[in-house]
Amino acid sequence: MLARPNPSVVIFFLILLTGLVALPFVAGTYPIKLMTRIIILATFVLSLDLLIGITGLVSFGHGAFFGCGAYAVYFVSPESEAANAFVALGAGIALGGTAALVVGAFATLTRGFYFIMVTLAAGQMMFSLFHDTDIAKGSDGAFVNVKPELAFHGTSLLDFSDWHQFYYVCLFVLVAAYFSLFGLVRSPLGRVLQGIRANEVRMSALGYDTYRYKLAAFTVAGMLAGLAGALFASIDGFVTPELFNWHQSGLAIMMVVLGGAGTLYGPIIGAFAYALLEELLKSASIVGPLIADHWRLGTGMTLVLAVLMSPDGLAGFLNWKRPRAIRASSGGPQGENITIRAMHVSKALSTERLSKNFDGLRAISDISIRFAANRVHAIIGPNGAGKTTFINLLSGAIAANAGRVLIDNRDVTGWPAHRIARAGLGRSFQLTNIFSKFSVRENCALAAQSRKATMWRLLDSPYEAPEARAVDRALSVAGMAERGDLVAGEMSNGEQRQLEIAMLVASGADLLVLDEPLAGMGPEETQRVVALLRDLAHDHTIILIEHDMDAVFAVADTLTVLVQGELLAHGRPDEIRANQAVLDAYLGREAKAGAVA
Amino acid sequence: MSLVLIQLLNGLQSGLLIFLAASGLTLVFGILGVINLSHGSFYMLGAYLALTFTGIFGDVFLALALGIPLAFLGGFLIEFLFIRHLYNRDHLQQVLLTFALILVFNEFQQVVWGSYPHSIPAPSYLADSVRLTEGLSYPVYRLALMAICLALALSMVLVIQKTRVGRLIRAAESNREMVEALGFDSRMIFRLVFAAGTALAATAGMLAAPIESAYPGVGDRVLIVSFVIVVIGGIGSIRGAFVGSLLIGLADAFGKVFIPQFSSIIIYALMALVLVVRPTGLFGRA
Amino acid sequence: MSTTNGDVLDARGLDTFYGASHILRGVNFRVGAGETVSLLGRNGMGKTTLLRTLMGLLKPKRGSIMFNGCDVTRSRASAIARAGMGFVPEGRGVFPNLTVEENLIFAERPGQGGRMDWTREAIYEIFPRLAERRKNWGNQLSGGEQQMLTIGRALLSNPRVVLIDEATEGLAPKVRDDIWSTLRIIAQKGVAVVVVDKNIDDLVDLAGRHVVLAKGEVLFEGTSKQLRTEWEFVSRMLGV
Repeated sequence: MLARPNPSVVIFFLILLTGLVALPFVAGTYPIKLMTRIIILATFVLSLDLLIGITGLVSFGHGAFFGCGAYAVYFVSPESEAANAFVALGAGIALGGTAALVVGAFATLTRGFYFIMVTLAAGQMMFSLFHDTDIAKGSDGAFVNVKPELAFHGTSLLDFSDWHQFYYVCLFVLVAAYFSLFGLVRSPLGRVLQGIRANEVRMSALGYDTYRYKLAAFTVAGMLAGLAGALFASIDGFVTPELFNWHQSGLAIMMVVLGGAGTLYGPIIGAFAYALLEELLKSASIVGPLIADHWRLGTGMTLVLAVLMSPDGLAGFLNWKRPRAIRASSGGPQGENITIRAMHVSKALSTERLSKNFDGLRAISDISIRFAANRVHAIIGPNGAGKTTFINLLSGAIAANAGRVLIDNRDVTGWPAHRIARAGLGRSFQLTNIFSKFSVRENCALAAQSRKATMWRLLDSPYEAPEARAVDRALSVAGMAERGDLVAGEMSNGEQRQLEIAMLVASGADLLVLDEPLAGMGPEETQRVVALLRDLAHDHTIILIEHDMDAVFAVADTLTVLVQGELLAHGRPDEIRANQAVLDAYLGREAKAGAVA
Repeated sequence: MSLVLIQLLNGLQSGLLIFLAASGLTLVFGILGVINLSHGSFYMLGAYLALTFTGIFGDVFLALALGIPLAFLGGFLIEFLFIRHLYNRDHLQQVLLTFALILVFNEFQQVVWGSYPHSIPAPSYLADSVRLTEGLSYPVYRLALMAICLALALSMVLVIQKTRVGRLIRAAESNREMVEALGFDSRMIFRLVFAAGTALAATAGMLAAPIESAYPGVGDRVLIVSFVIVVIGGIGSIRGAFVGSLLIGLADAFGKVFIPQFSSIIIYALMALVLVVRPTGLFGRA
Repeated sequence: MSTTNGDVLDARGLDTFYGASHILRGVNFRVGAGETVSLLGRNGMGKTTLLRTLMGLLKPKRGSIMFNGCDVTRSRASAIARAGMGFVPEGRGVFPNLTVEENLIFAERPGQGGRMDWTREAIYEIFPRLAERRKNWGNQLSGGEQQMLTIGRALLSNPRVVLIDEATEGLAPKVRDDIWSTLRIIAQKGVAVVVVDKNIDDLVDLAGRHVVLAKGEVLFEGTSKQLRTEWEFVSRMLGV
């Protein structure tokens, strides 16, 4: 979770802000114009951090929305009079936001490298649109003849052509933008965005339609970039297609990372640092004509060094970490009491002739099975038998080639993972898959929050009362009530796996699908989790993959044996123990090993 | 009719040329996992190397003979100095560092060659045009260029499919650690691949120089188009890069004639279409 | 640092971390020339980590590894491989985009003193199945064929030691027996073998010495006979 900035950061920014506010009283027009430019740039770069640093979307076309905002001012400005300042800025926000919504609708379908390329291409398309067609005077750029102003009955309240007034407007926008984004990021919505950055697959498995969230972030960032662009058009009253160019977008990414992605204030530092460095290297009177002639070389080399030496960006220098309190390692889950609860009827899950091929090879063939409610079902089989593939089919992580999946007789075949999660199926992953920078409680809150379908939750209270109760209940059920404030990533492996189970409980899932919940646990930890699973069966249906045979026989009501993608056997533990085919294929040698003694 | 034929030739020619650059990019991305934004800079530097060396030796092919090894060495050095630090970092850092390299290379170009465009003569023995049909002639240099690109493409496939180093490269693509455990220093393989990618981009720049001349920013378009091709063809697929390059070359050539206002958008539209139908590109692995 | 005569591989006091987790805790592990050693322990106890540390794929924080009388603690995996260590990883590491023949061909190299005990012909002789499939791609092989391929590939570098992780995991009983008899042939030719597997009774027949890891420490080390006499203790460690 985005933390409140350190005191050192706050002090730094108070000093910076004081200086900026005082600047017009001491400086001439040139420094004011320069600072106006930098402040606008900082607003633009700040909007990009919402994508890169918070949501984890590396957009290489963000300059396009900046350009849209600038051109919006040109579009709404009459030929020879001033546009209304509110209309001009509003148009910037609207055009930037609309463009971002359209681009984002396609781009956020893709991930990683493809996302970078699609946003880059979108930016270049818009560049071409304004460069090659004459919707806005083509490649020469266009003039906004009279800058926007705000007039009331003939008296001018605000005039963008007045440098001092415009400077303060821009400064106000930057400060307001920072605090708005800060509030947004710390809201329930912002928590989801950060969850997506940390682990998108997990978020879908928790029931979040991550596409909608990513699109929302993309649009909001586009609106803010549009606002910055609209202000930019008012600096010189001139807009050019170069604003859309990918170089702009690249520079913005650079400033985000230079300053420190994901901190919101870092990118502001990055924008100031980069712009001032450029200004410094360009000033022949300070650095000499030789350097000033080749200032790009200087900025380029500085950036190369910055990337290689400081992956955390400039913010890392301000925001030094306090030494972490070292927690005495408990060595694993501790003995908090698990309460015995009343029975609650959970959901059943069944498959009908479920099949999956990979590159023509059968990974899962023709599996029909019914997992009854309120039971613990274990799936066993040798490595490569298709166990994980099978539960990926159940949870919707991958789509089946044939067959059906039913939850309580409701056909959920082909549903996306987040929808199946909402239908009550929660799953954990083979590798521990928690949000390691969030606290234990925040991890569970993120899970609990997924019960509500509403996306736009900006309320200051981190989560609502029923959810708070769900979180408390999940923590106590999982025996973690006293560890709610620990940072998840700093706990032992066993505790993290326990937290995963707690998250599933908090999400309100009825069906818990667990991939090797006991992996890497010692005997005592194993015993505790086995007891926890038995207890959870009071109000859940549990399906788990596990290699630890002792634990499997101790915990499971039914066993399902998969071998090479086929269902070899399904039945009670004693039936499976006696099944000759299973003994031959899987258990045989281990069972015989006892005879050595 | 002759317009169609000439645009067909133009499309094939520019497609084959861009294939050299795109194949280098897809190799570097597919095997090293590095998004190299400075790839276009090597194309640009190639064009300027062709300018200088053609000035000295009087023939662009002699310039190639010296320029290719030089570009290879340059790539080797860049990998050693910068790129190797990026293998375990995320895409963001790679984008940033290679973007900063663009700034450096651009300035280097400004310092050495200045900001005016320079044209480079095609070799005198290839300066003519041949008559293909009645009323249609085509520059010999462009035909020669197509033959050279095809030959290079073929030899690249041969190297990758049939030689020891090619096998190592394919092996390193699928499992770098196992290559190490079999006794091969994977750092050298990576360095070699990066140097080869650089040399391919520079070669494309050198070959193109007599057609499009050398000017600042000549690599920008090449970079973006190459990325589009990598996406269309599928990351790491040479075959995909080949098909994608020809598609893009032809789409661009015909677009310029039939819908000139939107010609620069066509390639992106093509990319969007491919991504919708096949999200991992035409020949990409899922 | 003294090395017992005849030990090819001698690791002492290994501490290896994976991220923040402390996986190996002061592990001593040695392998004599031509000896077959089994490495036992439950999942997550550090067997794979030990093999990867010996191979040079993970660097220990503390401790030393002597191989063939040279200190290889800080060497790259490729250098250790060239010095004569073969590796068959968990999940097998077949290159899916290379043919069977291609998978083998570039691993072929003479061992110490130019020994060429293992050639491609020799591998095809003990694994006729591979000869039949030499033109097939790596990803078209069954699990057993993949295992034959990686074992064959490891042998082609004519190593002094081969490390084999999860030798028979996921294989049908018939194929398992093939793998075990192959390992016997390898041992007869004087190659030392370190093998990890879940089928303990097979390992008791195969290996002369057994090492049991639990929570990253060596809790038992001894011959098959000692293993039988201390079976009660060992079986508790192994969870069988």
